[in-house]
Amino acid sequence: MHRILIVDDSPTIRKMVRASLQALQPVEFLDAATGLEAIEHLALARVHLVVLDLNMPDMHGIDVLKFVRRQPRYKDVPILILTTRGDDASRQTAQQAGATHYMTKPFAPDALAATVQALLADFAFAESDGV
Amino acid sequence: MSEPEPFFQGFLDDYFAECDEHLAGATRALLALEASLGTTGTDRVLIDELFRDFHSLKGISAMVELRPAEQLAHHLEDYLGAIRDRKVTLTAAGIDVLIDGTQRLEQVVNAYRSHQPPPSIDDVAARIEAIAPRPVKPDAGPDRVAERRAPEPSLPRWRCTFVPTRELLARGVGVDNIRKRLTEIGTIIDAVPHVRPDGTIAFQFTLETAAADAIDALLSDGVVVEPIDSTAVVGDAPGAVRPPGAGSTAAPTHIVRVDLMRLDQLMQNVGDLVISRSRLTEALTRLERHVPSSEWRSVQENIVAIDRQLRTLREGIMRIRLVPIGEIFRRMPFVVRDLARESGKKITLDLQGQGTEIDKYLIERMLDPVLHLVRNAVSHGIETPDVRIANGKRPEGTITLSAFTSGETVTIEVADDGRGVDAAAVAARARAAGLPVPADTLDGSALLALLCSSGFSTNDEADRASGRGVGMSVVKSTVEQLSGTVTMTTEPGGGTRFTVELPLTLAITDALIGRVGAEVFALPQGAVQEVIEVTSSDVRLVERNEIIPYRRGALPIVRLARLFGIDSAVGERFHVFVVGRGAAAVGLAVDRIIGQREIVVRAINDPLARVDGISGATDLGDGRVVLILDPGALATFVRTREARAVGAVGDWGRLQA
Repeated sequence: MHRILIVDDSPTIRKMVRASLQALQPVEFLDAATGLEAIEHLALARVHLVVLDLNMPDMHGIDVLKFVRRQPRYKDVPILILTTRGDDASRQTAQQAGATHYMTKPFAPDALAATVQALLADFAFAESDGV
Repeated sequence: MSEPEPFFQGFLDDYFAECDEHLAGATRALLALEASLGTTGTDRVLIDELFRDFHSLKGISAMVELRPAEQLAHHLEDYLGAIRDRKVTLTAAGIDVLIDGTQRLEQVVNAYRSHQPPPSIDDVAARIEAIAPRPVKPDAGPDRVAERRAPEPSLPRWRCTFVPTRELLARGVGVDNIRKRLTEIGTIIDAVPHVRPDGTIAFQFTLETAAADAIDALLSDGVVVEPIDSTAVVGDAPGAVRPPGAGSTAAPTHIVRVDLMRLDQLMQNVGDLVISRSRLTEALTRLERHVPSSEWRSVQENIVAIDRQLRTLREGIMRIRLVPIGEIFRRMPFVVRDLARESGKKITLDLQGQGTEIDKYLIERMLDPVLHLVRNAVSHGIETPDVRIANGKRPEGTITLSAFTSGETVTIEVADDGRGVDAAAVAARARAAGLPVPADTLDGSALLALLCSSGFSTNDEADRASGRGVGMSVVKSTVEQLSGTVTMTTEPGGGTRFTVELPLTLAITDALIGRVGAEVFALPQGAVQEVIEVTSSDVRLVERNEIIPYRRGALPIVRLARLFGIDSAVGERFHVFVVGRGAAAVGLAVDRIIGQREIVVRAINDPLARVDGISGATDLGDGRVVLILDPGALATFVRTREARAVGAVGDWGRLQA
């Protein structure tokens, strides 16, 4: 079973992401509306993949990303940045900070599901390899 | 991403709800910015909030493929980004464009919601582009310092450390909850996550508050509090960003959205319970004489307890349906501002009681009527500054929009300190339109009756300006459909006040039950001013209308038996419900009053079964359907002297079938 954390300050987007990934059963979702909440979830549960928005109120997605990457437990977990068009300069920043993949909103549900599935498969492979 | 995505069309309700939140947040922030312009410098917190509102609107609009909304939000976001990054300075003209842009965005979203073609955004977009700079390479200079950091009197600061655990989270105590509670106690200066030596995570909040005692409540939830030496902290970290929610205008909402249908269903269920309770009471009453009185007492006590609990239950559900009337009020500042500007008037809008809560259903229905009353106040009420000065008034007019609740009624008032309604002009216009005009002096209620009659032209300035054509007659009929009343008082040169009274909820209400012949009627208690007993000899006949002496005046009465064609041997004494106030008061005569009950209102939706004067039906528990009288419509019958026994007999028969 995969546990996916969806971080976005928009409840509508969180719901849409959830619906898009629903097909990847067995899967369990965690929701966070703020960066602090995301970190709390990550601290309390084993998460296999994070879908992370960048522009959020209390803590920018990049800061969440940097913080998470400093945790040994999460240094390799796939983090998919899902952000609204217009943050073009942020793609590079995100990749430098350790983002696994970068997608923009609006997104197509199938494309998101396919990407997440591929990332989860890579991660499982890397984990079983003992990397 | 070129194919249409019907997949996301299923999220439109979420989309509209979130749009409403962001648009409301943007409106608040813009008005706050406008008010502070030129005094304290640009408020970075507000700019950041606005930026995020438009950023989110852009993102979610793109997801549902509402391109004009996405593009417009994008323009607004770009402009705010430039302001935030200090590439341009926000001016009054800039705020105008932002406000117009926000309103247009709202129109685009609303058009989409009601399946109308969206208005063009080109003009607004062009105006934004004209004042926003061309995108240049962002220079993230070191000058991104919060601008408004006046040396504040320093309050004690505290470091509050919270270590989340699964146990805490399981009982709802998470970092978000802690932050929210800290925000209620003081100002959060910053909030950062930390990794502790043992690898666990802790959140550190720097809190500024004078109410240190209040923090103690958090200790039991695992928060560790230590004082911070103020000398070491005050004045440091100029870049420290105040997190939103910390005393800013748009606090994050922690609200569960519930489909109104589900609440309706729940209310329906409670309604069924109320009816079952009545049936039980009825059945028990028949048993009473067969039961020893000591046993009976405990039955009685239980029934009373169930009554009380049912009432609590229904009030609880009703409260869920209540939303602050601010949802209507917050739209008004823009409206007044624009209309005042167009007409060269100076107007202050005073909003009172924005927190007053009314049924969600009423909010939706009352938006247009309130809008109309406010527009009227601007267009017809408030005078131009020179006229006001000539009349010895302040050049600036005031419109007061207020709301308050009392008991089961909510009152909405729109008052202005303008010229008042010109009775002679209204009378002349009414005569020109062929409407009957009373010969005597026109008081507030008579004037209102003329203004609200459907023949009275609504094609006036205010309606043209809005392009809506909602006249006073629509205001009145909407309010009456909601079982409410509109009254008006006006004073030449002094101003006009419209008062709308509405029942807080429509589903279950207290009612007085009256008998006419073999029939029983219910009348919502909120509508009844008084119940009086009348002796037949008190009744006088004036122009074929019955009146009785009442409070040093006369009260026209209508006999329900005659109106509905019911056989009834009227006794020497009978009861009259007084409905309406002042000159609009009328008496509804019944044979006698049976009592007071809590009734469940069932609307009569079949147009064939709908009869003027009847607003719905209820079941008192004995299985018989009892009709609920519509006091507003009955009063109109009497006042327009149409209280003849019009073919009501036929209608009556149909309803009984």
